Amino acid sequence: MRPYQVATAAVLIVIAAVAMFDTRSGALPDPTGRAPGGLRGGWYPFWSAALMAGAAGAVLVKTLRSGPSTGSLFSGAGGVRHMLLLVVPMTVAIVSMVWLGFYLVAALYMAFFMKVLGKYPWPWVVGASIIVSVGFFVLFEKGFLVPLPKSIFYSDTIPF
Amino acid sequence: MDALGNLAGGLATSLEPFNLLMLTVGVVLGLVIGILPGLGGTSGVAILLPVTVFIAGSGNDTAAVALLAGIYWGALFGGVVTSILFNIPGEPWSVALLFDGYPMAKRLGRPGLALTLAFVASLFGAIVAATLFTFFAQPLAELALSFGPAELFAVFLMAFATLVGLESENPLKSIVMLAFGLLLAAVGFDSLTGEPRLNFGQIDLLSGIPFIPVTIGLFGIGEVLASAEESGIGFIEKLSAKLGLKDLRESIRLVVKRFWMLLVNTVIGFWIGVLPGTGATPASFLSYGVARQYSKNKENFGRGEPVGILAPQASANAAGVGSLLPMIALGVPGSPTAAVIMAGLFIWGLQPGPLLFTEHKDFVWGLIGSIYIGHIIAFAICVLATPLLASIMRIPYAIITPFIVLISVIGAYAASNQIKDVFIVLVFGIIGYWLRKMRYPLAPLVVALVLGDQSEEELRKALIGSGGSPLVFFSTPMAGILMTVAIALFLLPVLQFAYRRMTRARARDAADEPAE
Repeated sequence: MRPYQVATAAVLIVIAAVAMFDTRSGALPDPTGRAPGGLRGGWYPFWSAALMAGAAGAVLVKTLRSGPSTGSLFSGAGGVRHMLLLVVPMTVAIVSMVWLGFYLVAALYMAFFMKVLGKYPWPWVVGASIIVSVGFFVLFEKGFLVPLPKSIFYSDTIPF
Repeated sequence: MDALGNLAGGLATSLEPFNLLMLTVGVVLGLVIGILPGLGGTSGVAILLPVTVFIAGSGNDTAAVALLAGIYWGALFGGVVTSILFNIPGEPWSVALLFDGYPMAKRLGRPGLALTLAFVASLFGAIVAATLFTFFAQPLAELALSFGPAELFAVFLMAFATLVGLESENPLKSIVMLAFGLLLAAVGFDSLTGEPRLNFGQIDLLSGIPFIPVTIGLFGIGEVLASAEESGIGFIEKLSAKLGLKDLRESIRLVVKRFWMLLVNTVIGFWIGVLPGTGATPASFLSYGVARQYSKNKENFGRGEPVGILAPQASANAAGVGSLLPMIALGVPGSPTAAVIMAGLFIWGLQPGPLLFTEHKDFVWGLIGSIYIGHIIAFAICVLATPLLASIMRIPYAIITPFIVLISVIGAYAASNQIKDVFIVLVFGIIGYWLRKMRYPLAPLVVALVLGDQSEEELRKALIGSGGSPLVFFSTPMAGILMTVAIALFLLPVLQFAYRRMTRARARDAADEPAE
């Protein structure tokens, strides 16, 4: 765990440092008196970032000074596989929403999950994904008039 | 005694068949809106505003406001369900329920109890708040107006301070996350001067980082990923089969047991709701922090502690009720939803403010009556539906997981109609998963992100008012007291930490053991 802890703290410090650099002009109270209330827009984020860098630095030092790490990063042998099995399709689904819209993706994603991970028979898979997709459509698009992303096929005849 | 007579009249008004019907319709709609992520009580009220014009036009203002207020009461209840069952906030004010509500539902396998606790707390908070509303409307509203930016900043500081101690295991990591949240909140235009900051030339970042998709990602998706890794795919939740009355009895028993703690948090919530521009969300966070700070079993918080559900929920509902008070009494809305309801009052030809109490007595007391009746209706519906709702947790993993992901997408997209918010969900889902793994607490990050902008605004408004002198934070007795309490709360974990270290070092020296 230790190398990951160190890396995480380091990344957080880098984020804070970048933010401090970006807002450095507002770090000190405005001496010219032109800024309203004496503080410029950068003051709050600069000192938030400074606090973040300081605390993350302390976490880093504490981790480095602690003993050698015990325990592995992922629980169980299948841990990573299970996680990836979730992350990859989810990423594909969300990215493809740009072209396929919400409703088509909803049906396909649901079907993928039920078939590949749930091993349900096809009639169930097809039925459930259509019901979920149509259900969302009726509830949001028609019921509450909340438009969700549409596919590139969207037209007068294809309402999704 | 005058108030009691008026209240009786108000209750009678809201129990008239048509008013009761409108109130029930409002509550049911509000429940649905609250449960669906991405649809807020504010937008629900706004959508139905045109409809109320026709109702008010027929000469029945009370029925019109009953419909709108009913949506608000329903949404305060409904947001609970999505938070507890899916770990996705149904409403901003139910974010605090993610911390303990979901763990109780999932890890302890008690979704029925978690829901019932939240509903009982809602009813408790609302009824206590309504009582305060009934008897002290006018003086409280005037006191609220004496709260300036300095006092408000102190209140926000208190909320942050109580949350730093949230993770007793590692206060340093809490501070990192709190500061990270403040930093994320600052991205985009500076709300006071309009200068862009931290956007690195990206136009998309100018509007800031919206907290709804971030929260959905960190909690909803992050948890889905974490549980996939921990328990593997294809498992079915083990749940206690007993649902219903037993949970209700246990909830009431817990409420009675923690009555004073709950009452204090309800009053805090009500007061924060009364303050202009705050509302239920900060109230729920502050109460969560306070409840944890004064709990004997701090380590249970975040793992399904009942008080972690009761306190923020009672507070949120009390704040929801409280936010209507300055609107009615002074014409200053206490929350965004109250502002929309106030727009309704104007459209119907009513002038909110002190005169409303004398000129439209029936209307005001009808509205106050609807607070009691509306919450009782919402509570009855929710408790009856709890076994059904809780059974959602038994849906097999391969069906519920894609469903949660899709709901998360809708919640993020519907709030702004921007696909980029859906990507934010994905990115923060992975960040949340990682931070959880590295044992960084997520609650301080979310709270700081939600309250960051407001706290900065109040700080700078106070300084503008004082011409830049920081002494403004101690310029009035109220500000001085609040500020001192906030600073003391901040120093508390530091002192505890130092004390622990000292005693540990002494013990180590005594035992003469090598350093850990």
